[in-house]
Amino acid sequence: MVLATAAVVNTLLISAMYIVAALGFAFLMNVMGFINFSHGAIYMLAGYICYQFAVVYGLNLWLSFSLSVIIISAFGFFLERFCFRYATGNLDRMIIITIAIILILENSINVTVGAYVRSLPSFAPGIVKFLTFSFATDKLLTLVICGVLLAVIIGFTGRTKYGLQMQAVSQNLEAAALQGINVHRISAIACAMACGMAGVAGCLMGALFNLSAFMGDNMLVKALELVILGGIGSVGGILFAGLLIGAIDAVVPLFSSGAVGQVIGLAIIIIILLFRPQGFFGREFE
Amino acid sequence: MKLAQLSLYGGIIILLALLPLLVRSPYVVYVFTTTFIYIVATVSLRTVTISGQYPLAHGAFMGIGAYTSAVIAKQLGWPVWLTIPLGGIAAMLIGALIAYPFARLRAFYYAMVSLFFGIGVIQVIYVLTKWTSGAGGLVDIPHLLPVVSRVPYYYFFLGFMVICLLALWRFEYSRIGLSLKAIAQSHIVASSVGINEVRYRVLALSVGCFFVGLAGAAYAHYNFTLSPTSFDFLASMWLFIYALIGGLGSFGGPIVGAALLIIVPELLSGLKQFIPFISAAILLIIFYVLHDGLISLPRVIETWYKRRKPGTADITEGS
Repeated sequence: MVLATAAVVNTLLISAMYIVAALGFAFLMNVMGFINFSHGAIYMLAGYICYQFAVVYGLNLWLSFSLSVIIISAFGFFLERFCFRYATGNLDRMIIITIAIILILENSINVTVGAYVRSLPSFAPGIVKFLTFSFATDKLLTLVICGVLLAVIIGFTGRTKYGLQMQAVSQNLEAAALQGINVHRISAIACAMACGMAGVAGCLMGALFNLSAFMGDNMLVKALELVILGGIGSVGGILFAGLLIGAIDAVVPLFSSGAVGQVIGLAIIIIILLFRPQGFFGREFE
Repeated sequence: MKLAQLSLYGGIIILLALLPLLVRSPYVVYVFTTTFIYIVATVSLRTVTISGQYPLAHGAFMGIGAYTSAVIAKQLGWPVWLTIPLGGIAAMLIGALIAYPFARLRAFYYAMVSLFFGIGVIQVIYVLTKWTSGAGGLVDIPHLLPVVSRVPYYYFFLGFMVICLLALWRFEYSRIGLSLKAIAQSHIVASSVGINEVRYRVLALSVGCFFVGLAGAAYAHYNFTLSPTSFDFLASMWLFIYALIGGLGSFGGPIVGAALLIIVPELLSGLKQFIPFISAAILLIIFYVLHDGLISLPRVIETWYKRRKPGTADITEGS
């Protein structure tokens, strides 16, 4: 019973982490059909910017968090204008440009500040006691932020003018452009939002774990798993896949060692995808 | 093949054969030898892509070949000349096994599921720590040739590359290769004229995996150490990028791409740390200037040259 409760709670916390990390990636993929392999590198960059403000300049942690997210969003505008715009709709070109961005960002960080182990201070230190269990507060904070981000995305795409335009663009780019929607502006906003979400995730994970120049690589794989398993074009799918992968990662280590757990998790994902390539709630892509 | 083409290729091979005599730097010889191995791996990746499959697990197959051969040679003491083909065969068998279920998948989904498969293979290497030494890396792998100098290795791998490329060339321009290209263009039309789609896709992946496994196995006995990180998903991505940079549309593309992206950053940069930046610069140049890969460079220059002379551009552009 205790084991089961612990497994459920762990599942929720791990899932929240994965979902926060994958949301920006999924958002850009759904709206623009752009597979941003450099999402992990952007996420890493945000963590380091936050570290620079909070630890090196000694600013307030939440202030530096906001600054980092704003800077990363602006970087998203830049990326869309000068890089991603020339690659939409072509998987080969997406791979080339995003790998170039990964190389530049990761190695710049690695050459300059990557030699030492760094970590952000905790956003919410302390533990919460609930019945006989105790949880780290910052993990619960991740759960809350996950909920807030999901609410923001659903509210934005469903209710606001730009959100509705985004839906139109994702359904049919040419038709949307013919209706007078500025497609470039929409994709720039989408890219900035996606990078902002990567920034939120990067700061949170930088506090939960250590910062490292190559921390984005593992995250990227998790984000890909989540998005492909959930299905492209659905927010509900990401929630479901996040819970499933979180459950695998929370439960399998109870019975086996780390690497074996990874293999089992990947095997489950591959088998599911062989029977349902478009994911749980997805539409066909390309 | 035309005489001009034949003499061009012969000339390149002769130049490469003379290189260790002209350049007496062991480092240059080392870089070129590594390039030969990766050229074989990249061209075998292209053999798979002509059937319309985009595998992002090719680095993992290279790892399967390398680890199979290295572990058998080291732990069981089998002769290296036997274990290298065994590495290729192991990669081929695993490729054929996964190709059947993977035949359900197409395009983007195939790429993603094979990416996950490649990550899984690396995790399996970590699990089998008893044989593979896991993250610590496998060291003291038996040598391929009983010499200390790197130059005999250079000639061995030059020959290895030429033989593999000839075999893959023959495969691509055979009847089978034509069928594969037909499948890539339209699997429905190909099936309707009697091409068994699943069988040909399995065949393409098996052949590609055999050669990449062979290259990986030879690499293991040339490098003497192996680490799982050289075959992770970024390595698979890199193989794909070598092919893309050169241009996936032609046989020569992957060769040029791999050669450019391995040799130029290694030789241009004084420090190991700056290699990725030069690679990134090359990627950006290709991205913004040469849309169809490096192999289209002569055509781009030709078009640009003709456009400078008014009057001739419109007549010749279409032809």
